[in-house]
Amino acid sequence: MAQNQRPTSILDSLGEEIIRILTPVSICMFLVVILVSILNTDSSSSPVSSIATIAYSETNSDSSWDKFVGALLNSLVFVAVVTVVTFILVLLFYLRCTKFLKLYMAFSSFVVLGFMGGEIVLLLIEKFNVPIDIVTFLVVLYNFAVVGVLAVFMSKVAILVTQSYLVVIGMLVAYWFTLLPEWTTWVLLVALALYDLAAVLLPVGPLRLLVELAVSRDEDIPALVYEARPVTNHDSDSTSNGVIQRRVWRERRNVSPDLANNMNSSVSNSNSVGIDHNDTILAGAEEGRVVEGNAELSAPLLDHRMTDNQHRQEDDASSESLLLEGIGLGSTGAIKLGLGDFIFYSVLVGRAAMYDFMTVYACYLAIIAGLGITLMLLALYQKALPALPVSIMLGVLFYILTRLLLEVFVVQCSLNLVMF
Amino acid sequence: MTVAAGIGYALLALGPSLSLFISVIAKKPFLILTVLASTLLWLISLIVLSGVWRAFLPLKSTTWWPYAILIITSVGFQEGLRVLLWKAYKRLEDILDAFADRVSKPRLFLTDKMQIALAGGLGHGVAHAVFFCLSLLTPAFGPATFFVDRCAQIPFFLVSAQIALAFVTIHTFSMVIAFNGYAQGNKVDQYFVPAIHLVAGMVTLVNFASGGCVIGIPILYLVAVLTLIHCGKMVFRRLTENRSRQGNFQ
Repeated sequence: MAQNQRPTSILDSLGEEIIRILTPVSICMFLVVILVSILNTDSSSSPVSSIATIAYSETNSDSSWDKFVGALLNSLVFVAVVTVVTFILVLLFYLRCTKFLKLYMAFSSFVVLGFMGGEIVLLLIEKFNVPIDIVTFLVVLYNFAVVGVLAVFMSKVAILVTQSYLVVIGMLVAYWFTLLPEWTTWVLLVALALYDLAAVLLPVGPLRLLVELAVSRDEDIPALVYEARPVTNHDSDSTSNGVIQRRVWRERRNVSPDLANNMNSSVSNSNSVGIDHNDTILAGAEEGRVVEGNAELSAPLLDHRMTDNQHRQEDDASSESLLLEGIGLGSTGAIKLGLGDFIFYSVLVGRAAMYDFMTVYACYLAIIAGLGITLMLLALYQKALPALPVSIMLGVLFYILTRLLLEVFVVQCSLNLVMF
Repeated sequence: MTVAAGIGYALLALGPSLSLFISVIAKKPFLILTVLASTLLWLISLIVLSGVWRAFLPLKSTTWWPYAILIITSVGFQEGLRVLLWKAYKRLEDILDAFADRVSKPRLFLTDKMQIALAGGLGHGVAHAVFFCLSLLTPAFGPATFFVDRCAQIPFFLVSAQIALAFVTIHTFSMVIAFNGYAQGNKVDQYFVPAIHLVAGMVTLVNFASGGCVIGIPILYLVAVLTLIHCGKMVFRRLTENRSRQGNFQ
C-alpha cells in the first residue's frame, strides 16, 4: 500500500503563501533591529528635523504631558500632510498622469536608495573604520541605486532582486523614521494606523477612491508594492485553499466581461517624507498600505470550493462568488503587501529595539499575529483592507504590557534563577 | 563578553531547537505557522501571569516560598492552557481533515499529527528561551560579564542558557507526550506532563541555596532526559502499532 511511496500530505504545502509574505517582513524587521542596535548607541543624539517634527521638537526636559501633547500635534500635522498628498495622488491618477507618477516614484526610489542609503552606509563606514575611497564609494552607490530603480520599475529583472530591493528600500525608510523622538514615533504610528483605517474603509477615504478608480479602469496603480512569489500549483487542485487561513479570492467583475482582470484591490499612497539633516526637502517615498489578495483558482475548482459549511460567515461570500464565477480564469495566486506596511512594522520594532530586546520579541510576535489576523479578515471580507491598524495596535499594546509588566516579572525570576 | 560570547550563549540555549527547526519544521509552512502561534500563546500566558503578579513584585530575594507559590500558580496556569490548546487542536484537526477530503488528499497521518505537536512544543520552548534567556543576553555582547551571588562559579549568562536549554527540551517533548496522551486517553501521559513541568519548576528553587545551582541544574537535566526518554518510548510504541495495523490491511 502506501508505505514506501506516501502520497503527499496536505501538511506539506498548506500555508505556503503566508510564509512567503511573512519571511520578507521578518527579514526587514530583523535588518532594522540590527541597524538600530549598531548605530543608535546613544539615544539622545541630535534630533532629526523633518516634516514630522514641525510642530514640536522633543527635548528630554519636558514633562510627560508636554511630550504627549507635542507628539500629538506632530502626528496631526503629519497625517494632514499625508492626507493632502494622497488626495493629490488621487487627482493625478484621475487625470491619467500615470507617466508622471511613475517617473516621480522612480525618482523617489532613487533618492531613497542613493541618498538615504548613502548616509547610512557612511555611518557604518565611520563606525567600523572601513577603508574605502570616495570614488569607489560613489560609483558603487550610484550603481546600486540605479539597479534598484530598474529592478523595482522594470519587471524584467529576476523576482528575487526586485524583492530584495523592495526590502532594502523599506529598511532604509524605516531606519530614518526611528530617528524621530520617542513619543512622536509612537503617537505617529497610532495616528497612521487610524488614518489607514479611515482612508481605506470610509467611502470618502482617498485610498478607497484610488482603489475604485483603478478597478474601474483596470489599471495598475503605480506604487511600491511587494509581491510574493506566486505559489505554483503542485497538482491540479488549488493550493490556496487553506482552511484556517482562508484565502478564497474572488475576482472583481467589471462591466466589460471580456477583460481578464485578476486584481482584487491594490492601494498605493504617495507619501512625502522629508528627512535630511540640513534642510527639510520633501523626498517622496511611496507607500502602499493595503494587503491585497491577487489570486484566482482554476475554474473547475470554484464549484467545489465553497461547499464547506463550517464557517458560517463564508456562506454569504460563497453564494455571491458562485454567481459571479461563470467565466473563471485561472492564474497563480500571490499576496501583495504595500511597502508602507513593511516600513511601519519595522519602525515599531526598531523603536522597541531602542528600549530592550524583550520588547522586540514581544512586538515582533504581535505584529506577525496582526498580519495573520488581517490576512484572515481579507479572506473573509474579500475587499481592500488596511494592513496597518491591527498589527500596529497589537504591537503598541504588547510594547506597553511588556515594558510595564513582563520585564519586571522575568528579570525578577531570572536573576534568582527561578524559571518555569 | 564579546559578540562571539553573546552568540555562543544564544546558540547554547537555542542550538538544538534551531537544528530541529531547520530539519523538520522549515520544510512545511504550516508547522512554521504553528510554531509562531504557540510562541505567541506562551507569551500571552506569561504577560497574564506577570500582570497578576505585578502587585506582589519585587519579591524579597531571601525567602524562597513566595517563589514557590509563583511557580505553582504559573505552572498550573500554563498546564490549564495546554488543555485548551488541545481542544483547539482537535478542532483544527477536524478542519484539516475535512479540507483534505475536499481536495482529495489523504487525511492527516500520525506523523503529521506528531509533527504539529512537536511544532507546538517547540514554540513553547523557544518562547521560554527567548524571554528568560535571550532577552537578558544584551549585556553579554559587551566587554564584560556578570555573576550572580547565588551561583558564583560561572557567569549568569551561562547558567541561564543551560537552564533554558533544559526547559526547551522539556517543553518541546512534553507537548508531544501530552497530545498523544489526550488523543489516546492515556492517563499516565496526561498526568506525566504537568507533573514533569511542576517538578522542573520546583527544582529551579534549589538554586536559591548558595551554590545550589551545582545540584539544581544536573537534576533539571535529569528531568529533561526523562522527558526525552518517555517521549521516545511513546512515539516508538505508537509508530510500531500504527505500522503493524497498516501492515494487517495489506
